[in-house]
Amino acid sequence: MFLFARKEGYAREIARFFATDLNPIQKQLDKLEMGGVLVSRMAGRTRLYTFNPRYPFLRELQSLLERGLSFYPPEQRESLVMVRRRPRRRGKPL
Amino acid sequence: MKPVRRMSQAELAAFVQSHLRARGITAILSGGACVSIHSEGRYISADIDLVNAYSVNRGAIQAAMQEISFAEQARHFVHPDTPYIIEFPPGPLSVGAEPVRQIQELDFSTGSLELLSPTDCVKDRLAAYYHWDDQQCLAQAVLVAHAKDADIKEIARWSRAEGMADKFRQIRTQLSRGTS
Repeated sequence: MFLFARKEGYAREIARFFATDLNPIQKQLDKLEMGGVLVSRMAGRTRLYTFNPRYPFLRELQSLLERGLSFYPPEQRESLVMVRRRPRRRGKPL
Repeated sequence: MKPVRRMSQAELAAFVQSHLRARGITAILSGGACVSIHSEGRYISADIDLVNAYSVNRGAIQAAMQEISFAEQARHFVHPDTPYIIEFPPGPLSVGAEPVRQIQELDFSTGSLELLSPTDCVKDRLAAYYHWDDQQCLAQAVLVAHAKDADIKEIARWSRAEGMADKFRQIRTQLSRGTS
């Protein structure tokens, strides 16, 4: 759900968001990558995961996740979706 | 039987695939090795991607591969007598969102080899180009389209279904050159 809402993410931030341990999140990400649902790439020292655009059931899975997200409590839905995605210049005070 | 160290990539793929088939495991050749075969060696790949078409348990694949002296390293399999590495990407066998409907079969002295047809091989490479802008995969798609009779009309239909009609229009000439 985190990856669906945010488009990409890494294990530590997902664990932090759901206030859970890192290890099970890493294991699940690994399993989903092995199953072809997710793909990953390195950004510096961080492994970023996204949905695999070549996964044959992606449309159906995303429809299900979209429906699931619509049932989330409004505050949680907002905190998943409403994150700053635009760039921020280094050193900018605000 | 030819020893593994003397097998070409296609012969090795046929050997492994036939061995797996005898144990009820369907694994279809896809990826760069398909490009290599369809382009008659104009592209070289060290990988042999055998798609685990019906999601057979990993343990069954490990056991079958061990019987022919392949050892698992990380997520792929290696053999001491060949530089080729074998991977089993997860199924189902698809090109983009569509299932692969027609499998090509080639016979070698080491066994029969089931692989993507030239048309599906082009689609498979184009999927990587469309979604990740991978220029190497576009070059491979062009190689196969030129070497074999890839069905350009079918590739156009599939590209539209993938939502990539615009990108296909940009590369259509490259693909069509030298084909009917």
